[in-house]
Amino acid sequence: MIELSQLQVLSGEWLSGGGAEADVVVSSRVRLARNVAGFPFLTRAAEEKRAAVEGLIRAAVKDSSLRSRMTYHDLAAMEHVERQFLVERHLISRDHAFAQGPRGVAFTADERVSIMVNEEDHLRIQSLRAGLELRAAFELANEIDDALEERVDYAYSSQFGYLTACPTNLGTGMRVSVMLHLPALVITREIEKVFQAVNKINLAVRGLYGEGTQASGDFYQISNQVTLGKTEDEIVDNLVSVIPQIVKYERKVRQTLLQAKRVILEDKIWRALGVLRVARTITSEETLELLSLVRLGVHLTVVEGISTSTLNELLVLSQPAHLQKVESAKLSSHERDVVRARYIRERLGKDMGPVG
Amino acid sequence: MLCQNCSKRAATVHLTEVVSNTKKEIHLCEECAQSKGVAIKTHIQGLEIPEFFGQLAQSHGQTPSGASAEAQTRCDSCGLTFEAFRNSGKFGCPDCVASFKKGLVGLVERIHGGTQHRGKVPNRATERIAKQKELMELKEELKRAVAEEAYERAARLRDTVHKLESKLGYHT
Repeated sequence: MIELSQLQVLSGEWLSGGGAEADVVVSSRVRLARNVAGFPFLTRAAEEKRAAVEGLIRAAVKDSSLRSRMTYHDLAAMEHVERQFLVERHLISRDHAFAQGPRGVAFTADERVSIMVNEEDHLRIQSLRAGLELRAAFELANEIDDALEERVDYAYSSQFGYLTACPTNLGTGMRVSVMLHLPALVITREIEKVFQAVNKINLAVRGLYGEGTQASGDFYQISNQVTLGKTEDEIVDNLVSVIPQIVKYERKVRQTLLQAKRVILEDKIWRALGVLRVARTITSEETLELLSLVRLGVHLTVVEGISTSTLNELLVLSQPAHLQKVESAKLSSHERDVVRARYIRERLGKDMGPVG
Repeated sequence: MLCQNCSKRAATVHLTEVVSNTKKEIHLCEECAQSKGVAIKTHIQGLEIPEFFGQLAQSHGQTPSGASAEAQTRCDSCGLTFEAFRNSGKFGCPDCVASFKKGLVGLVERIHGGTQHRGKVPNRATERIAKQKELMELKEELKRAVAEEAYERAARLRDTVHKLESKLGYHT
């Protein structure tokens, strides 16, 4: 059994900075939506039905082959800050964290897989990997799905496939997405062209934390919109063929920028790193913005001595709930900014040595 | 014929109203008709207005008369109406897709460009789908039995339906 407090040191595999095309693709995610047959969906489920579904899935996780691999956590019994902590690690969604009623989450120690219970659907199986590793992510999610299906009767129709609370998830119930870091396309405003092209082929663009969130720090999620009428393989293959084109475009524009405006670009990157290394108070928005520039610098080898995994770690660990975990105290927003600045200085100092 | 309202001008607007099976005819001049808010028949490119709206609705995949009947369709299992589903964009239970099938197919096609699942099939689904189909047929038979007032047969069918529903986990 993993205690949540241990998680702050354990880092999810997806933060490793590894995987294919890691200079642009931060992570790959596959999510499967499933519901238990014979139970209403959450919008029309009374408390006791929700509790029954939660109990049923909890038992399925604990009795199946998943028992040795996953730990189960009761979200309803969890403190606000702990739920926020799981959101920051991408183990649960924001909606799931702040919803009401019986709900839970199971995940593996390497954080490659999580099962959200009573999110919008009874079950959301999610697999997360570093870099462009969609096929591996799909295979893992699929394997977990098979293991659960041995214990749970899924709501399914031969015409509409897996039955989900929202018609946009019918069929495969599968959402495949990649998180991309596209600073050069944002700086040059070429990103608009990417959005237009991507929308034309039925792919959606979202922010850092998924549905309904703003893109921040030049991080964007691209995912399939169509879930019915195509096989899982076709959906994965579609993204696998499109994403490398965006990656190539971003790399090309990075090089063009470097050649045409080297000094200006280097100045922006070094100033960003400078602020992160010396600041005494810093907000999470500014952190994200500056980390994005440093990340660009690392991948253009303008900056040396920092690894992508350090940047990813900073990205996650500098967020409010993580800072409060590290400090084991509830912090005001000003206190958080002070602790964040100190934590970033120390972490970068570890990789790069003292300033000056 | 003079206008029934002002009795001065010639009646050019003729209305037929049917109230509790008695036909009532009203004849008005244009001014009185307008002041009473009676819509005067207008032609748009040879189309009468109700027909025009009908075509608009059809271009959105619904017929006007079907739309209101469709909106009131209720899911037997969870009680959600098709109208409520359309407003919220969320189904109430796994049986909603079968209950709303008629109105749903067009919507699903607009979202996904297809209407037939081609992906993964859960291992245990085949057996379950057969049972669900059997259940639907039994329910239809039960309705017929009740309509025919064959109560003994209806009672037997009701028991079978109940047993099958339990097997499918509908009563847990």
